[in-house]
Amino acid sequence: MTTDEHALATTEHNPVAGLSHDSTGGISNVVLGMLLFLTSEVMFFAGLFAAYFSVRAHSPLWPPLNPETSEAFHVEILPLVGPATVLLILSSFTCQFAVWGIRRGDRVAFVRNIAVTFVIGITFLVMQAIDYAALGSEGLTLASGPYGTTYFTLTGFHGAHVFGGVVMLGVVLYRGMSGQFSARHHDAVEAASLYWHFVDVVWILLFSLLYLLPGKTPQG
Amino acid sequence: MASPPRTGRFALQALVVGVILVVGVAIAIFGGLDLVGTGQRVVTSLFPPEAVTTQGAKIRDLYTIVFFIAVVIFFVVEGLILWTVLRYRRKPDDYELPAQTHGNAIAEVVWTVVPTLIVAFLFVISWQTLNTVEIVSAQPDQKIQATAGQFQWTFSYLPADYDPNEKPRKEPLFTQLIPAGDDGGLVIPAGRTVKLYLESNDVIHAFYVPQFLFKRDVVPGRTNVFEFTVKPEDAGSTFRGQCAELCGAGHRVMLFDVHAYAPADFDTWLQTQITAASASPTPAPSGAAAAPSGAPSGAPAGPTLAVTASNLAFDPTALQAPADTPFQIDFDNKDASIPHNVAIHEGSPSGAEVFKGAVFPGPAKKTYDVPPLKAGTYAFVCSVHPNMTGTLTVN
Amino acid sequence: MATTVLHPAAPTYRSGLYDWITTTDHKKIGILYIVNSFIFFFIGGILAMLVRSELAFPGLQILSDQTYNEVFTMHATMMIFLFVIPMLAGFGNYVMPLQIGAPDMAFPRINALSFWMLPLGGFLILLGFVTGGTAAAGWTSYSPLAQDRPLGSTGSGQDLWIVGLTLVGTSSILGAVNFLVTIFKMRAPGMTLFRMPLLTWTVLVTAVLVLLATPVFTSAVIMLFIDRNLGGSFFDPANGGDAILYQNVFWFYSHPAVYVMILIAMGTVSEILPVFSRKPLFGYKAFVFATVAIGALGFSVWAHHMFTTGAVYLPFFSLMTFLIAVPTGVKFFNWIFTMWRGQIRVATPLLFAIGFLTMFLIGGINGAFSASVPVDFALHDTYFVVAHLHYVLFGGSVFGIMAGLYYWFPKMTGRMLNETLGKIQFVLMFIGFNMTFFPMHELGLSGMPRRIADYSSTAGWNDLNLVATIGGFTIAASMVPLLWNVFLSLRSGAIAGDDPWEGNTLEWATTSPPPPYNFDRLPEIRSERPVFDARHGPKSHALTTTDEH
Repeated sequence: MTTDEHALATTEHNPVAGLSHDSTGGISNVVLGMLLFLTSEVMFFAGLFAAYFSVRAHSPLWPPLNPETSEAFHVEILPLVGPATVLLILSSFTCQFAVWGIRRGDRVAFVRNIAVTFVIGITFLVMQAIDYAALGSEGLTLASGPYGTTYFTLTGFHGAHVFGGVVMLGVVLYRGMSGQFSARHHDAVEAASLYWHFVDVVWILLFSLLYLLPGKTPQG
Repeated sequence: MASPPRTGRFALQALVVGVILVVGVAIAIFGGLDLVGTGQRVVTSLFPPEAVTTQGAKIRDLYTIVFFIAVVIFFVVEGLILWTVLRYRRKPDDYELPAQTHGNAIAEVVWTVVPTLIVAFLFVISWQTLNTVEIVSAQPDQKIQATAGQFQWTFSYLPADYDPNEKPRKEPLFTQLIPAGDDGGLVIPAGRTVKLYLESNDVIHAFYVPQFLFKRDVVPGRTNVFEFTVKPEDAGSTFRGQCAELCGAGHRVMLFDVHAYAPADFDTWLQTQITAASASPTPAPSGAAAAPSGAPSGAPAGPTLAVTASNLAFDPTALQAPADTPFQIDFDNKDASIPHNVAIHEGSPSGAEVFKGAVFPGPAKKTYDVPPLKAGTYAFVCSVHPNMTGTLTVN
Repeated sequence: MATTVLHPAAPTYRSGLYDWITTTDHKKIGILYIVNSFIFFFIGGILAMLVRSELAFPGLQILSDQTYNEVFTMHATMMIFLFVIPMLAGFGNYVMPLQIGAPDMAFPRINALSFWMLPLGGFLILLGFVTGGTAAAGWTSYSPLAQDRPLGSTGSGQDLWIVGLTLVGTSSILGAVNFLVTIFKMRAPGMTLFRMPLLTWTVLVTAVLVLLATPVFTSAVIMLFIDRNLGGSFFDPANGGDAILYQNVFWFYSHPAVYVMILIAMGTVSEILPVFSRKPLFGYKAFVFATVAIGALGFSVWAHHMFTTGAVYLPFFSLMTFLIAVPTGVKFFNWIFTMWRGQIRVATPLLFAIGFLTMFLIGGINGAFSASVPVDFALHDTYFVVAHLHYVLFGGSVFGIMAGLYYWFPKMTGRMLNETLGKIQFVLMFIGFNMTFFPMHELGLSGMPRRIADYSSTAGWNDLNLVATIGGFTIAASMVPLLWNVFLSLRSGAIAGDDPWEGNTLEWATTSPPPPYNFDRLPEIRSERPVFDARHGPKSHALTTTDEH
């Protein structure tokens, strides 16, 4: 009991650990809400990743053979994956620069960086669409067996999240340009940037999984 | 509120009446109804049926232990609840607050540790039983594959050196296409170990025989295996089995019978079946027909009726035939790899069987020669799927 | 005690339909949750009566095989996803902000959004009845049966089920975020975590479970949707998928969901027992830790639904399942010793709470049978399991819900429910419940599988099925006194006053119903029973602080 009370006193400055006696200090409701929401997003992707690993473990070959050409699928040759990845990682930095900007009260830097992030987000989506078209012409679609299903489901849901992030950034950009944010009042910016970082991290995991993890050959 | 609602008495009566009624209903169900029951039930009040396999007997022993521990816990806790509620009711002169106890460290430790010990005990005895029940030997006396499909079971008798991982797999010696009845079902030797390989053609099913106290899912894409030994004293008995995992609209008709034969009878039976199967091009069922289906070599006097089976239904479902004249049924089974036949029963599907055509998997056609029938109403059914029915009017 | 009836607060509840549709007040949204849940409860109840009517006698009388599968699938879907879970969320919504002294939820508009997804989702799921058949593969919708394949689930009903449940799941996730932020950020001064009422604690743990488990369920049904409509191959072995994978992902959510369906009911009972015994909850902290432990263990037991698949490591999941009995047992003793040496007032809320204790006890004990893997080989997918899950979800959750309804109805409406009608309802429901579900133990033991539309008249199941059906209709009859009671109370019920039960927690420190902003002033919060402290003065407070707890 006494140790608990002591623990309460020392965590007073950190309201996420609970025990804040007033609702004004510490992390804002919006940012905490976004963090919790992202926790559930992590679990959503965990479900998809679990399915990926399970399907992969069941397949003797990975990537499996294309049933039409009897050759292994080659996803690593996609021309735009590398640039898209670099761009998306860069955009996390520009997004963070925007947050730092608005925290200083530097609205110009904020708007500029958010605009860059927004454009990169759209570019990423366009590049992914081009990649999808390339894969489609090679015969890999959502319906072409476990490999195509997992590939397109994982990247597709990531793409949908990028799209959601772009919409969020668009709203933040619009509101930023009309001067609605200040050094004190910019919860929406913090929340949107958390979301964008999350999307970026998911992509790094996906990229490692789909392009870097060595494939499986039959019996070693 | 001037005073708290004075409702204690009625509520108490309600509670007591409720408890008495529940106990009364329970006694009526498990005492009275057993007395007036049909006498055919395998019900032994809150216990599973007596196990007919050695593995099932182990499970029943475990059940008995769990049951008695559960009953003791139930009466202790339930008694404590009811006694507390009855004993510590608020009295009209209770103005002072009762002692405001917030907890008691010793009591709380005790009622954490004691349940932990109980569940640890239950876990250990469960694990031990699990290990004996799950034993699978390399060389069982008999290997059988049970194949589940929507909505029937077939049982293939496998060669002794069968291995499901071998490619290509060895052909079964003989396949039993009729899942239930006197001339169908899973026939096994009592007193010998039987290894059952479970395979599904389509969705998930479950192989369940209540008197084995056992079930195992039949999952497409994997081969589940388990082993059982029916006790020698149960030779000559039949046990009913049923699919236990929802598999679609015909789930309830996926019944099967397990016939336990004495080992010598089983060997004779199996040899007869294998011989019969190798003699005919399509695997014929045991006792192919009650009446000789291909006997009259001369041209039949009666008409030829066309019947189709597709999507587990007959078409048409109403037939007409002349009385006292032999006739033919042109049977077209369109369901791929699903066995069907046409059998004719007097009056209704549960009536006496007067004709039974050979069972064969589709897509294929067969012509049955039906002996003369007296005028009247008959039902025709599929011996594999009791819910596939139609009416045959003979006049 | 002296009563303060503040009439000015009441008129807000007499506003028009538009006000209800656009409201962001957590109390109104809570009431919307409760009313909506009851509508789906009655739909699910009618479906249950169809099931029981069909099974009353051998032979197919009123439903076809296919319709029967649709009916029990919809019964379970309605009861689980659109009655029990949102009903308890409704209590959380109404009561939790009051209990922590908050003016509203953290995100009132998201709160409204969460609610309105529910009726839409439920409507979509039921829409199958008019578009050629609802989902019929059971509420579990195992693949490959739920795939678009002949003799599987070819119609649009299964897709509507997926879309509807995705909406319901999203609603749950947004609600959970809202609950957590509210609890972490909006507590009144003095309301430390270990002074929070038990209902609030169970809302907190439930929200964590929802947050971590529901998205996994969403991913499972979305993958099923991709399989069905876009040619995917996750779960269908015929296309290179894995049927067991679906079960793993599905139960990873659906086992924690069982605790989502019971924890808040436990919290409700833990509010009621101290108030009606005039004692604090025995072992408050132990109770909190037990709740957290159940939540945590809830994530490591999912495969106990899959013991017979032959594809899971049995001893681990068996051990974890047994272990859940320990924190549950701790709670039982806490509840009993809360009443021990108390002054128990046997009013309707307490009666239902006792019903919860006695029935949930059976639900816990018969669950231990299935935790023992070899015994589960005999009992899995038989009516024994149907008995077990109803003793937990009806004997537990529904009795807890009824207890909460009688307890908080005066706070929500300002009027008391009639005690006599309440007790009639309790007796009918208690008897009907046991008549329906106790015989199912016996049916399962003697080999009756679940989810069959018909059974052989020679199997020996006739009598018990008839008894169960009569019991089922007794439960249905017990709804009549409830509805009549609510109707009478709303029209001419006794005025409740602020605190009709001599409550302990902050919701009883404001008017009934509370004003839109909840509180004019809050009492000082120095224990988990601020209103009790205010009522009984420093003496009681001294007791609270000197005792070990």
